[in-house]
Amino acid sequence: MSDPRSRRDFIRSAAAGTLLIAAGGALVRLAADDLTKEARAQKRADGRPRLPPGQRVIEYLKPMGGDEGSGDARDFRLRVHGLVKKPLDLDYKSLLALTQVTKEADVHCVTGWSLLGGQWKGVQVATLADMAGVTGEARYVIFEAANGFTANTALRDATADAALVTYRLNGKPFSIDHGAPVRGLVPDLYFWKSAKWLTGIRFVRDDEPGYWERRGYNNHADPWKEERYS
Amino acid sequence: MIEWKRWRGWLRAVHRDCGYIAVGFTLIYALSGLAINHIKDWDPNFHQRERTLTITPVPDEASDAEAAKRVAEAAGMGAPDDVYRAGDEVRLAYADGSQVTAVGEQVTVQQRSPRFFLRVANWLHYNRGKKAWTYVADLYAVMLLYLAISGLFMIKGRLGLKWRGAALVTAGIAVPLVYVLWSGGPEAKKGLGPAPSGLSQTEHER
Repeated sequence: MSDPRSRRDFIRSAAAGTLLIAAGGALVRLAADDLTKEARAQKRADGRPRLPPGQRVIEYLKPMGGDEGSGDARDFRLRVHGLVKKPLDLDYKSLLALTQVTKEADVHCVTGWSLLGGQWKGVQVATLADMAGVTGEARYVIFEAANGFTANTALRDATADAALVTYRLNGKPFSIDHGAPVRGLVPDLYFWKSAKWLTGIRFVRDDEPGYWERRGYNNHADPWKEERYS
Repeated sequence: MIEWKRWRGWLRAVHRDCGYIAVGFTLIYALSGLAINHIKDWDPNFHQRERTLTITPVPDEASDAEAAKRVAEAAGMGAPDDVYRAGDEVRLAYADGSQVTAVGEQVTVQQRSPRFFLRVANWLHYNRGKKAWTYVADLYAVMLLYLAISGLFMIKGRLGLKWRGAALVTAGIAVPLVYVLWSGGPEAKKGLGPAPSGLSQTEHER
């Protein structure tokens, strides 16, 4: 027969220990979050708060998993196709030979972290769209990536000023877990729309929900509206 | 009464055998679940190492072999398995997955090694391999359902499901329920973005 008093003591001790650990964790988190407080006080040029609701600032890009591509620049091919007059098939050298830009952009992960002020280098999606001659019918863009991953965006989001096909962050190449050698960047949407291990950009007339969008994530993914899930 | 005793006996026997089988699966799914659940705080699959250093930029006219030698030596690495140059980049690749990239005067060395056990456990948990594992995982899920439900009835105890049993079962159901109510559930902060042409928001749901 078990002794009820010892069982009660055990439950009390376990509960007290759990509370203590939780309180410690909360304290550490609050104390270390000056960056978030600072960002919350800032505004973007378009008047929106710099930090979307429900986000916390971190200092380094975090790897969030995914089905990796080869990561080797030698294997890289980017197809720009769909509703275009002149489809493109670029290797890494050809991509780097195009007009390069460096954009400062904040990115926001749907899991709640934001990385602010990154310097992203690459080629604007708008440049590729111009080169390929996107037809007037196109209204959506499907970012295609290794192993069948796709992410869909409206044409206006994909061709926004800071939307890039990017291969460097803060002067450094991406490591394999961050989408090396080349990933998409659509900074004003949740970060899953910025497909890693990019292989293609397809212009389409009708929307095609992508990998995460078919698994319950929001189709549009605006961080300022907290469009996290469907 | 005798019939119930016999059924309880069967429940217990099958519960115990399922429990034995479940040990290995549960270690994989539970440890991987803990690891993946905190993916925003750490990399559950790999130990990552990255360092940067500065060199005198490799001149454009340097041969690939010469460029590779200069960059590899500066990075303290041996001869690479592959050298690739594009624009101002010199990329060295190694068989173990290490990458060394020189961009102008900056060299970035990126290395990683898989975490023991978790790398494989996560691969299974995510069902990255697809194929037969889909059915194995289904079987495990069914087994968990059996363990949960048979656990309610397999030992009658003095009071059966009354009091403590009822309170704990209620707590197990109430915790997720209260959380859904408190957080607003899947409909909370849904935010309806501009619906794509011809499709309503709900038509995107699966």
